[in-house]
Amino acid sequence: MADITEIKHRIKSIQDTHQITKAMELISVAKMRKAIQKQSYSSVYLDSVRYTLKDIMLHSTDIHHKYLEHRSNNRAAYIVVAGDKGLAGAFNNNVLNLAWEHMQEHPVHYVITIGQMARAYFEARHQTVDLEFTHAVASPTMHDARGITWDILDLYDRNLMDEVYVVFTRMHTTALHEPTLVKLLPIEAKDIEVDLQNTYSGQLSYDPSPKEVLNVLVPQYLIGVIYSALIHSAASEHAARMMAMSNANKNAEKMLDTLNLEYNRLRQSSITTELLDLSSGRFFSENNLHQKVGQRHGKAR
Amino acid sequence: MRTFFLEIITPEKTFFRGEVESINIPSVGGACTVMAGHQPMVFAVEPGAIRITADGKTREAFMSEGFVEVRPDETIAFSQAVEWPEDINERRAVDAKERAEEQLRRNRSAAEYRLNRVALARAFARLKVKHHNYMSGD
Repeated sequence: MADITEIKHRIKSIQDTHQITKAMELISVAKMRKAIQKQSYSSVYLDSVRYTLKDIMLHSTDIHHKYLEHRSNNRAAYIVVAGDKGLAGAFNNNVLNLAWEHMQEHPVHYVITIGQMARAYFEARHQTVDLEFTHAVASPTMHDARGITWDILDLYDRNLMDEVYVVFTRMHTTALHEPTLVKLLPIEAKDIEVDLQNTYSGQLSYDPSPKEVLNVLVPQYLIGVIYSALIHSAASEHAARMMAMSNANKNAEKMLDTLNLEYNRLRQSSITTELLDLSSGRFFSENNLHQKVGQRHGKAR
Repeated sequence: MRTFFLEIITPEKTFFRGEVESINIPSVGGACTVMAGHQPMVFAVEPGAIRITADGKTREAFMSEGFVEVRPDETIAFSQAVEWPEDINERRAVDAKERAEEQLRRNRSAAEYRLNRVALARAFARLKVKHHNYMSGD
């Protein structure tokens, strides 16, 4: 059985940790709500951009755009979006492992990381990180997304890569998020998922021409994809952290329960022993037992 | 006057929702006005000022590059940024304008030139909307 002061120490330290995890859970809940709200706004926007883009690509003939054309080589580039911090369950590992597995099949690549955990992961595996973005993880803005998109397009234009993939965590519900890999460039009609049913099925005309509209749409689409990846990832990270922290809270409460029980038991037993000592001492002196014992000792001598 | 339903959406928020009489947009092919009963169409839009007329009143707002989709049931405008004059940060727009002008002077590559041209157009449009203070009846 452990020492009573030792148990007291453990209770204290678990209580402290419990307090921290509780605070972290509350913070994650608030941040997740904000991120989910942002995500719902951006998804309306992105869905419509996707729909219009796909409509033009499917129904208009003779459209050329440098980001729609397939390049002959297959040098792949990866944009990996993970968190800045740990303590979020398996969130970082899931998305990073998916990226890593996919990379093993595409040998020539260029790695762009968003978030410190992503960089640390690749450094530990001796995979050089060619470009990294910080500050875009905690609360992504359109400005961040625009900056990242222009930088990537610049590299793409310089012909350093032929395909660009984005790896991020997609959030379905607060409890369900899965790591996802989407192809960003070149844009192909089959890669654009559209879950939006347009109310209007007739032929739309484009002003001034499908090509001009496409020129506006393509950068909007790319920025939109990056922005939504950042937001999905941020929302998932907060949700994952919230779940991890609520588990930690439950564990801490359970541990505190058993430790308190043990502490009380030990305290009780030490009180009992002390009482026993006291009462037996009193019993001893009241009946002058020590004298009798002394006499008996004297006789024996 | 006949009205139609207009929605203006940015990735960050829904900027406007409601019945309007007309909207004037700086389309790539030239400024044009959409009214009720317009033919279904998609317009590409340059950074500039949009004018929304509802209940006989006209308000002006800044709209960044984007596109406007006219459907039989409603019209939806999509843009990276849409702002009322009072929400425009003048200081930032002036800074952006100076930065874009500086970059244009250096003029490194064709792609950068295009980017800076658009940035400059955005800054000019913001400043114009900010100072125009377009309100009907004024």
